[in-house]
Amino acid sequence: MRHKTFDAAGGVIAFAILALLPVIFSSGYLIGVLTVAAIYGIWAVSWDFMSGLTGRENFGHSLFIGVGAYAAGFLNTSFGFGPWWSLPAAMAVAVLFALLMGFPTLRLKGPYFALAMLSGAVIMQRLMLIFWEYTGGEEGISGIEPLLRSPLHFYWFVLAALAAVTLLLVLLARSKWGLILRAIRGDEATCLAAGINITFYKIASLAISAAFAGLGGALYAHYQLQVSPQLFAVVTSITIITMVYVGGMASIYGAVGGALLLTLMTELLRDFGEWRLMIYSLILIAILFFLPNGFIAPAWRSLRERLSSASPSNRRKTPAAAQSHAIGGSATGRETA
Amino acid sequence: MSEIIIFGAVTGSIYAMLAVGFTLIFGVARILNLAHGSFYALGAYGTYALTSIGGLPLWQAALLSVIGVALFGVFVERFLIRPMRKSQLAVLMISLAVALIVEQMLFLVFGSEYRNVPAFIDDKFTIAGVDIAGQRLLTLAVSAISIGALYVFIQTTRLGSAILAISQDPEAAQYMGIPADRVFCLVMALSAALAALAGIMAGPFLSVNPSMHLLPIVKAFAIVVVGGLGSIPGSILAAFMLGYAETVVAYLVSTSWTEIVSVLATLLMLVLRPAGMFGKRAAF
Repeated sequence: MRHKTFDAAGGVIAFAILALLPVIFSSGYLIGVLTVAAIYGIWAVSWDFMSGLTGRENFGHSLFIGVGAYAAGFLNTSFGFGPWWSLPAAMAVAVLFALLMGFPTLRLKGPYFALAMLSGAVIMQRLMLIFWEYTGGEEGISGIEPLLRSPLHFYWFVLAALAAVTLLLVLLARSKWGLILRAIRGDEATCLAAGINITFYKIASLAISAAFAGLGGALYAHYQLQVSPQLFAVVTSITIITMVYVGGMASIYGAVGGALLLTLMTELLRDFGEWRLMIYSLILIAILFFLPNGFIAPAWRSLRERLSSASPSNRRKTPAAAQSHAIGGSATGRETA
Repeated sequence: MSEIIIFGAVTGSIYAMLAVGFTLIFGVARILNLAHGSFYALGAYGTYALTSIGGLPLWQAALLSVIGVALFGVFVERFLIRPMRKSQLAVLMISLAVALIVEQMLFLVFGSEYRNVPAFIDDKFTIAGVDIAGQRLLTLAVSAISIGALYVFIQTTRLGSAILAISQDPEAAQYMGIPADRVFCLVMALSAALAALAGIMAGPFLSVNPSMHLLPIVKAFAIVVVGGLGSIPGSILAAFMLGYAETVVAYLVSTSWTEIVSVLATLLMLVLRPAGMFGKRAAF
């Protein structure tokens, strides 16, 4: 069987399980945790699409999340629009910020791009506090309306959004678009020589990444029913990057697993109260040392290999070919699929 | 007007101490150290803890703080950053993780309220008709002396030449027998010590709370971009430019807008001249 069939099957099974979990266990707490995990999944997947593929790690993803959330907040409370308008509005605002930040910063290499985006997020957080008369300062905006009255239905909506976004980005990543982004990571000069308009692709991928981050931000706003400047915090960006790391860079689907794992871990650590953030950072360091290629995507790939080599169509191959096929999958640091 | 000149100079001198350390460790070891702000914070908090809880006199507390932070910097470089050097993302992440851990530790031990770090000089002076606290003047002096000493050290001593060699070409320097790893340790120690010194000097009149590490990093990055990566004179010049720009904005508009100055300066410089003013290595 081909990779795509396995991936599709795996995805369908995974999302079916996720959708059914709160029905089986019927706990409001679980629904809440899973909703947050799904929203983080949207953020992580959108980050991976841009930064995982192009290698330009964006340390200011919380900027797009925050402006999406605040757009939703403003639209719903100050301007009195119905809650469903937030979603396209948040995406539009996030794309606007992506274009604004993207043009001057995308020419930078790795760490400089990361820090420039980080600066953007930090400054936005300060701006929210400076203009507290309009933005509500530390406490932000509250009294946002929920999108759906039932938490379970809202969870299914978010889960559907996560599935749609993941599917879209995985398809994009496996198409010519993804190939070009990976080529940009490899060597920009060669891409230019080949006649590729890298500026367009870099900015467009940042815009796509921002759009879905903003969408997640709006969903978060309608879940928490309030927004605060904490959304812009560095911690949010780092958490998302960690999730993608755990999931496996550039795999896109791994980010979903990473988001689930880490959200669950955060909940389990809740008993530690104030020590939580520190334990989290220590775990991050441990992951950086011991799991540099992540966990979810490599695990899925080896599972896929084992399943496909067990299937009848592959038994015809010589053992040597099957062996090298399996080894070749993990030889490079960053996988293609 | 004379207020702007003097207060701008004080702000610029603090930024210069921060930026020179930041650009040094970058220029030599190619490490964009996001924990640099933590050195700044630890310097201030260390002095606070040693004086108020340890009961030590201020000078001793400050000296011990600087040495302690320098050692911490060496520890971070040796055991946390060096194993990750293959991947720039990993270095960034781990230095940021260190910054977060330090912030959390400070929060857990000291709480989130603002602390009062004692000043070295409590008297006020009047210069050119401007009332200025002695501590701010001392900051100006300490900054000038420490950066000057660093510059002389790098230009005249053999160790300084080793540092310059590594920053130009690490491999060739190693062929010449210069131990790159030990130079990295030394440079990290110097960088951390400068940042701690900035924290100790600025602590009495700037805010001291666990999240004080974040804005200095953003501003240090802005300064280094404007001044040119890896260039110490560039960083000093850009630090004073930023200090003066912020002071002017604070006087003419309001103090809340000062942080915007740094991000605007960064973005403008990136668009107009990405190599910075004196940058030998561009950021792209």
